[in-house]
Amino acid sequence: MTVLLMILGLLALVFIDVPIAIAMGVVAIVAMVAGSGLDALPNVALVLFTGATKFPLIAIPLFILAGSIMNAGGISQRLIALASALIGFVRGGLAMVTTGASLFFAEISGSAVADVAALGSILIPAMKKKGYPTPFAAAVTSSAATLAVVIPPSIPMILYAVMAGSSVVELFVAGIVPGVLGGLLMMAVTYALAVRHDYPVEEIFQFSRVKRTFREAAWALLLPVIILGGIFGGWVTATEGAGLAVLAALVIGGVVYRELTWKTMRGAMIEAGQQTAIVMLLVATSALLGEHLTAMQIPQQIARGIIGLTDDPIVVLALLNIFFLAIGMFLHSAAAIILVVPIVMPLVNAAGIDPVHFGLVVTLNLGIGQQTPPVASVLVTACSIAKADIWEVSKVNLYFIAVLAAMLLLVTYVPAVPMVLVEFFYR
Amino acid sequence: MQASLRAKFERLLESIVLILLGSLAALVVVAVLFRKAGASIVWYDEVASVLLAWLTYYCASLAALKRAHIGFPKLVLAAPLGLRRLLYAAREIIVIGFFAIVAWAGWQVLIVLEGTYLVSLPWVPTQLTQSVIPIGAVLFIVAELLSFSDVLRAEAAAAEEHRP
Repeated sequence: MTVLLMILGLLALVFIDVPIAIAMGVVAIVAMVAGSGLDALPNVALVLFTGATKFPLIAIPLFILAGSIMNAGGISQRLIALASALIGFVRGGLAMVTTGASLFFAEISGSAVADVAALGSILIPAMKKKGYPTPFAAAVTSSAATLAVVIPPSIPMILYAVMAGSSVVELFVAGIVPGVLGGLLMMAVTYALAVRHDYPVEEIFQFSRVKRTFREAAWALLLPVIILGGIFGGWVTATEGAGLAVLAALVIGGVVYRELTWKTMRGAMIEAGQQTAIVMLLVATSALLGEHLTAMQIPQQIARGIIGLTDDPIVVLALLNIFFLAIGMFLHSAAAIILVVPIVMPLVNAAGIDPVHFGLVVTLNLGIGQQTPPVASVLVTACSIAKADIWEVSKVNLYFIAVLAAMLLLVTYVPAVPMVLVEFFYR
Repeated sequence: MQASLRAKFERLLESIVLILLGSLAALVVVAVLFRKAGASIVWYDEVASVLLAWLTYYCASLAALKRAHIGFPKLVLAAPLGLRRLLYAAREIIVIGFFAIVAWAGWQVLIVLEGTYLVSLPWVPTQLTQSVIPIGAVLFIVAELLSFSDVLRAEAAAAEEHRP
């Protein structure tokens, strides 16, 4: 009964546009006071503080900052130029450049919204100018950016790891194969649509152009080598890797390319700080709610209830897929991870599902949620850059959502796809 | 008057964000270099975690000033004008009420924590690190109040636009 009241209270607050982070805090405070009286209130301040001091989450502001600096420092433009030289000669080349550049940008920023904002602001107008339909330009940019959350580093994966008590590095490694497969599949769909609708060829292939753009982007290409090489090689932790990403982006954008000014740097830092706070306030207030739910043994009760019906991992994963797809349509991915992962983990463990494997399932589910209205943060950003109607874009986007759904099924039911590299390197 | 106050408040919060994020990034990089040189900084974990908490609450006020926190405005926006204004008011009361409680609770904790210090830096009082909760809560309330007029202005402009 208490849980039902808490859920209804949370929904009521969210529906009147109280920010989700604060809605969680309000519900938790009401439940605490109802359970333990006003004496429980000072504990609110303590939990809100400790909830925001989780060390692995320091990687979040740093990866966001690295992505912002990359964009402000001219790194993104050079990556786009290289991708254009490499695959621009194919029919629908500019759309494929978008996918290629997204895959690469994803290796540094870890955020789909940062990805679509950085690349979309350059590539969507370019595609429109070349004669691509606006809804297609927005759809391909939006869906390609969602791959950012599968390819390491990934902010949703960092959040999941903290909430599930799992390894960030193993999650990053698990994302490599699905991310690359998803990217290739998305390029194949882009090509098929380009041929069917006779989209333009960007330009003829010139080896000299590839050489020139490669030379210009060579420093930028070093970024993922430094970050991911350092993390996967065990040389640095994910948090330290994020710090090095900031340093490398600063050196490359400021010293090598000389495009980083104090003004752009200031804007990048403020944007990164703000995005961090939006996620971290959710983390902090969810700690309040989580403490109350854990004290009431709610996650364990839910796990026991479902395991009483079935303990078949295939069925449990199917149920969880449906659940996460549904909540992904209505909740921001960070909010969904923070709210739901601690509740379902006892069930995942009881069904014998590897937490790293489940982390990829959750990440992909919520990635699809970023593409499905009403709450579709990445799609909305792409539509706002393209000045396109969200429903028109969604119609074209169905093809790319189908790719993401195919990847989800593959990752869910063929655990070897995400886990092969994890098993090889870490177990 | 209010616009000038809002601009000054925004600049203050932005300056805090620049200092905190810059310090956090610098600390993480320096800590890696020291660790690799075989001289790990013992206070790194504790101070970096505190900086993250400070960044969270000071930046949360900046995000509140820009009305950037994640919400679900679709139902409120679809409501008729009178109900919409009522819901805006209810939302503000709830948000400000929440942070008023947090500010009070944070103050109570500061009183209790008197005489305690960080583990790795025994000369830094925990009252200083924990002060972000009451201060952050008050700043959030100020940000809400300063930005509420923006919401009302946008609302009035939209209503004017739709007038036949």
